Amino acid sequence: MFKKVLVANRGEIAVRLVRALRELDITSVAIYSDADRGSLAVRLADEAAHVGPTPSSQSYLRIERILEAAKRHGAEAIHPGYGFLSENARFAEACRAEGIVFIGPPPEAIRSLGSKTAARQLAIAAGTPIVPGTGSALSGWEEARSTARKLGYPVLLKASAGGGGKGMRRVDRESELQAALRDAASEAGRAFGDNEVYLEKLVEEPRHIEIQILGDHHGNLIHLGERECSIQRRHQKVIEECPSPLMATHPDLRERMGQAALKVARAAGYANAGTVEFLVDRDANFYFLEVNTRLQVEHPVTELVTGLDLVEWQLRIGAGERLTLRQQDISWRGSAIECRIYAEDPDHDFLPAPGKIARLSEPSGPGVRLDSGIFEGWNVPLDYDPLLAKLAAWGPSRDAAIRRLDRALAEYVLMGVRNNITFFREVLAQPEFRAGKLSTSFLDRFFARRSKPEPGPDAEAAAALALVLAAKKNETTDSLPRAGSGSRWLESGREDLLR
Amino acid sequence: MKRQVTANGRSGQIEIAGSRVRYAREDGVEIESGYSMLQTGPTEFSILLDGRSYRVNAGEGGQVWVNGSLLTVEVFDPRDLRPGGHGSATQGRQQVTALMPGKVIRVLVAAGDPVEEGQGLIVVEAMKMQNEMKSPKSGRVAEVRARPDATVAAGEVLVVIE
Repeated sequence: MFKKVLVANRGEIAVRLVRALRELDITSVAIYSDADRGSLAVRLADEAAHVGPTPSSQSYLRIERILEAAKRHGAEAIHPGYGFLSENARFAEACRAEGIVFIGPPPEAIRSLGSKTAARQLAIAAGTPIVPGTGSALSGWEEARSTARKLGYPVLLKASAGGGGKGMRRVDRESELQAALRDAASEAGRAFGDNEVYLEKLVEEPRHIEIQILGDHHGNLIHLGERECSIQRRHQKVIEECPSPLMATHPDLRERMGQAALKVARAAGYANAGTVEFLVDRDANFYFLEVNTRLQVEHPVTELVTGLDLVEWQLRIGAGERLTLRQQDISWRGSAIECRIYAEDPDHDFLPAPGKIARLSEPSGPGVRLDSGIFEGWNVPLDYDPLLAKLAAWGPSRDAAIRRLDRALAEYVLMGVRNNITFFREVLAQPEFRAGKLSTSFLDRFFARRSKPEPGPDAEAAAALALVLAAKKNETTDSLPRAGSGSRWLESGREDLLR
Repeated sequence: MKRQVTANGRSGQIEIAGSRVRYAREDGVEIESGYSMLQTGPTEFSILLDGRSYRVNAGEGGQVWVNGSLLTVEVFDPRDLRPGGHGSATQGRQQVTALMPGKVIRVLVAAGDPVEEGQGLIVVEAMKMQNEMKSPKSGRVAEVRARPDATVAAGEVLVVIE
């Protein structure tokens, strides 16, 4: 096993990785930009290296600086997390050239699966069903128009290098196509440095279900079951769960999807952890979407249900160990659901809301897992993804997991930046959600009929009472000379004087 | 002690006397109970209303968190009440402000341009998300204050439409 590993990421995933390293007695090296000097990951890691100014193009995406930091600190391997350089084949190659282990699949597999169009070709060859569309990047407006006519509207424009919904546009009619094409290409160019886009037939009200795969460098490859990630806003997942509620009515679906995923992975020479994404239509037909050649944001739900530590396995596999798990060793116990806590305003179209965390009190208790990258006083930078934390709950049944997650959300106090915590409580309370009737258009329909819950007069009275008495206390305090010592003992003495 | 209350857009009144509190809303809903309050943090309070427990966190801009729900609550002394509200937006000129802090990545109009309601004016990006600011009305661009690549704060005026 490795002695020292560099974590080439930030935020909650950097914390997750540093924790895994600590548990395995591996020295961790965090990296940070100017804005992240005080981050939780830097403070929890054994060592930390500055890699540049705040913009990620000058820090977290700078291959040579990260490699230089790894060499300076003597790290034998680099874990890229998700996002940033995690699916960058050039980075994986550069690591190899420097004799540093890139914790992930071989660069060849990243390359063949990283382009969505190449991945679709691979899936076709492997016999895995795909959504009808262009097999390769669009050459321009003319091809887009003729293909869209052939497929029939609505269609979906997607970035070849894409992920996370960037560069993706739904197009309902031809008059919208040209503008959508321009926007998608521009967004793709900004996000991935590659403005190639392709076109797919839109599957109406699909479920998004993905298969976690895990393989070693000795030819062993298994799947760890599915995650359903149908609750999305702007094509980005916000709630993920395992098992998918669909499995209750289609008991053979997990194994069929698992085998389809493994076929694609084998064809690409895959190793380490990865995720094969599928769309599932109303009749439970599944279509290959793409492969994410990295650890997923939502990996905790799989960990909670299978009892496996995916990051530990990534590290073991990266160090050349054999995957000792066989497919028949994998079992799925109970149900786990995760909410992505974002600094964004669900009341205003999920606009990002950077700022300072004024107050934070995190939930805990039985069956609750929190992967967080924030703390009270932290300034959430506007330069990065607005993901603050992931809150997951496990229960013996889906219903128990939902109730536990709601309990944890109700305990979660996060003030100072707008966030989606109370919004999740509304979503979890929806009868459709409880019944497992999910699709990627769930949130659109939810917003169309949303009526905000009224907490009731008791809660209003409690809030008003607190504000009145706090204001009164401030008036009295302000009229006294400021102690300014910061000492709790002195402050409490001062408060005694006010009584 | 009496205070006017606005809670989630509804007005009411709170009256505190000794260890009792009465809260009456304009819609007729009313509660009265004994209370106990303890400050448990700089902005956090524990309140018991006849033994029912409420955890309250007071945030910025009237946002108050109570037992896992968010409310917009304001209290004010009726003696401080000023007649009339805030000045309403002028009919002729309307300011388009940034909804979020971010960076201006595209300016789509210039001063003097005629614009339609809903037409894109400026594209602001924050946290990898692009947000197109649209014209609130049809008219003419009176002023463009935003510059490409400039960092803007939430509420900052980007364009003025008349």
